[in-house]
Amino acid sequence: MDYRNILTICPYCGTGCGLYLQLLDGEIVGVLPAKEHPVSQGKLCIKGWNAAAFLRHPDRLKVPLIREGDRFREASWDEALGLVAERLLHIRDTYGPDAVGFLVSARCTNEENYLAQKLARAVFKTNNVDHCARL
Amino acid sequence: MTHADLLDTLRAHVSEKLPELDGVVGLRRTVVGTAPYLFRQGDDLSELVLSPRYPLASVVSLLQKRYPQARFGIVARACDLRALVEMAKRNQVDPDRLYILGVACTAEDAEECHCDAPSPKIEGWPHATVLGEPVPAGSPNPLIAEYDRMSLSERWAFWRAQFAKCIKCYGCRNICPECFCEVCALEDPLWVEPGVLAPPFPSFHLIRAMHMATRCVGCRQCELACPAHIPLTVLYDLLRRDVAELLGYEVGADLFAAPPLSLTLAE
Amino acid sequence: MTNSVPEFSEHTRCFLITGSNTTEAHPLVASHVMKAKERGAKVIVVDPRRVQIAQLADLYLQPRPGTDVAWLNGLMYVIVTEELADQEFIEKRTEGFEEMWRVVQQYPPERVEEITGIPADDLRAAARMYAQNKPAAVLYTMGITQHTTGVDNVKCIANLAMLTGNLGIPGGGVNPLRGQNNVQGACDMGGLPNVYPAYQPVTSPEAKAKFEAAWGVEGLSDRVGLTVVEMVHAAGEGRLRALYVMGENPLLSDPDIQHARECLEKLDFLVVQDIFPTETTELAHVVLPGAAFAEKDGTFTATDRRIQRVRKAVDPPGQAKADWEILCRLGQRLGAPGFDFASPEEIMAEITRVAPSYGGVTYERLDREGSLQWPVPAVDHPGTPYLHKEKFTRGLGRFHAIEFHEAAELPDEEYPFILTTGRIMFQYHTGTMTRRSPKLEQEAPEPYVEMHPDDAARIGLDGIRRVRVVSRRGAIEVAVRLTERIRPGVVFIPFHYAEAAANILTHAALDPVAKIPELKVCAVRVEPVP
Repeated sequence: MDYRNILTICPYCGTGCGLYLQLLDGEIVGVLPAKEHPVSQGKLCIKGWNAAAFLRHPDRLKVPLIREGDRFREASWDEALGLVAERLLHIRDTYGPDAVGFLVSARCTNEENYLAQKLARAVFKTNNVDHCARL
Repeated sequence: MTHADLLDTLRAHVSEKLPELDGVVGLRRTVVGTAPYLFRQGDDLSELVLSPRYPLASVVSLLQKRYPQARFGIVARACDLRALVEMAKRNQVDPDRLYILGVACTAEDAEECHCDAPSPKIEGWPHATVLGEPVPAGSPNPLIAEYDRMSLSERWAFWRAQFAKCIKCYGCRNICPECFCEVCALEDPLWVEPGVLAPPFPSFHLIRAMHMATRCVGCRQCELACPAHIPLTVLYDLLRRDVAELLGYEVGADLFAAPPLSLTLAE
Repeated sequence: MTNSVPEFSEHTRCFLITGSNTTEAHPLVASHVMKAKERGAKVIVVDPRRVQIAQLADLYLQPRPGTDVAWLNGLMYVIVTEELADQEFIEKRTEGFEEMWRVVQQYPPERVEEITGIPADDLRAAARMYAQNKPAAVLYTMGITQHTTGVDNVKCIANLAMLTGNLGIPGGGVNPLRGQNNVQGACDMGGLPNVYPAYQPVTSPEAKAKFEAAWGVEGLSDRVGLTVVEMVHAAGEGRLRALYVMGENPLLSDPDIQHARECLEKLDFLVVQDIFPTETTELAHVVLPGAAFAEKDGTFTATDRRIQRVRKAVDPPGQAKADWEILCRLGQRLGAPGFDFASPEEIMAEITRVAPSYGGVTYERLDREGSLQWPVPAVDHPGTPYLHKEKFTRGLGRFHAIEFHEAAELPDEEYPFILTTGRIMFQYHTGTMTRRSPKLEQEAPEPYVEMHPDDAARIGLDGIRRVRVVSRRGAIEVAVRLTERIRPGVVFIPFHYAEAAANILTHAALDPVAKIPELKVCAVRVEPVP
């Protein structure tokens, strides 16, 4: 028997509205606007009010997938990451660092974007790093 | 009683009551902010606060539905309590399983909200008490008098301009403690064409207003949640006034008075 | 943004909103504009579509798409000739005025009217309103930037703000509203081909040495890398062999997506890390399940440089993992040092050491203070609500002399309409999330083209519900929606819908500097579905 609210930021546009995710026994049951937020001031648009609606959609990717012909098969993290590491290194070593590119994400956190560009630059020695800032 | 004294009294009272309850719904302030919370035995009650206001009655309803046997308490301002009254009549909360810890608003609160009934009335509630001194009603919303002076065409123009700003966030409905229908007429393409901005005038807002007659308890949550700054309390205060004058029904005042319109059946 | 969103309701006395459907794309920014309007602030909207925010406008101007340099120069022409410029600001804080004026003086309102279709007197009124109500804020978004002249357009806006002394003051400024929750942060973190975190150029030997030391590696590249659109083309030409995509869907968001798809199909190896299957995961060799915003800790940086905490509420589904965890595991798998972080907070600690503008950020501060606006160089620095207070980053602000150039693809007999694309309130970007949110999808489940009724009548579309929109790149079928809010000769299609992707039609012509594609202007024809 647990009801609490977790303060977070809307995942949609760049305004950065504050919202609470209402948690009942660890499950998200709704959204509340954050009244003390300096920008959104207790208000949200329809996307903010529905920010949690897609989280438990059945289409969510839940397992790493590896292509076999024109289909995917499920794989363990170990196998999937092993394959990614091996192929990326092979391509870098065969064609040079700039044969590898990374699209980081305007949807992911700062910390994740930092790590992704660090991976590209420090490990693959390429500046082929971009995201959809222009789109 | 100062606000600090009131908070101390409230926290002591909650602490005393928690052992016999499954939890008390109130506002919890942590370092990151303030939001509704279910206080349970052992929780730090120094985090229990009274503002900013959130629709706590809706949280009680949610909890009672999930835990049909549990006994919860709620720290309720007068508007929360009025909301609970109308929810109880529509089977959204069970008064027998609810402990009401009514808290009187301050005179400043009452003035800010233009609230005409800032002190909780616990008559009829089986388990209830009130903390704090009753304060006088706030002054009436000056926009109401201004509105009363308008001609019919001026009123039409006023609302047309206001509702033209609507961004259809449904925030007024989402935050409303009395909007608990699982199927909402505002989302029925028969009544409201989907995807249109601003939503059709005046149908969108009139449909909602009609459904809120005998239900709106004047908590002002809709207006506070409106990104377009539409003065929704003017509309709803007028509605409550009409309901009182025409139907003799004071919304949220009496747990036993039957609501005069049976809109709940139609929905 | 140079300024902060809350300043709009508190301080701004005039808004110039252009190329921004603010109400639908940034609703809570529009909320601040509405609040300002209630206390008497002026609102000027310049947009080929009479978007909802135009209802608030004291002046609404409807230019032909792709003519922004012309009308912006025209505004400056009026401001200078009517002596409404801020002479003191120009003298003390700027350089290059004379050079700029030599170009701008060729844009009198009558000539601007010929180019843009904006009546000369309306332009004069707008110039006066903007110049005489200080602080004045310019708000813009992709309607300004997604052009082959995108950089020119932005420079003109900066000229205008400097000309009137509207920089370095609360409530003024040049304010691009960023479209994605963390597009600002992705740029700040060095998610760009030319800069390390905090915009330190990859071509700078000092920056290279700094990051080699910080990361404990040697041989960082000092060559500027490829942008998204360039990477796609490089894939098509076999120069790019592998692509790692984290949380992006270029096969719906990029221009000319049929071509983009053909290019990406040539990759030897495509990894896509995402939360849902997308048009892009379909082509992947490996798909890695990531976590959504509510399933991880971290920070986002909002459009007004506001760094805020994102907090984990629930676990990711199945075996999905937070993206930072995936990257750490991959880094370790690659045998690289510096990927053994136990939490996002530890990653932020490293960021603050290498990114000076984030130097004072700690999770403890973000919890306590709610948000911090960069630059926040030290833990005892309060952050920066508005930029350029005493001086510009480069010292004096520089005026740029910008000539008007037409868009890359103009309408002609075969393709007589200008297509412009954008967002709507109820969907978001490529729809990966919103189209799976029932209450959003039910509002706007179907793609459409917006068209002026006069145009529809002229080409014989009376009573026709579905049309084919055809460009030189491809064709899509959509419902037609007639509205007088769009400029005759222009049609609009929201780009959220994979089943009729507007980006099948769009043109991949790029701005020469920013490499941004011209998604806001291309030529199409509209015909009834046979």
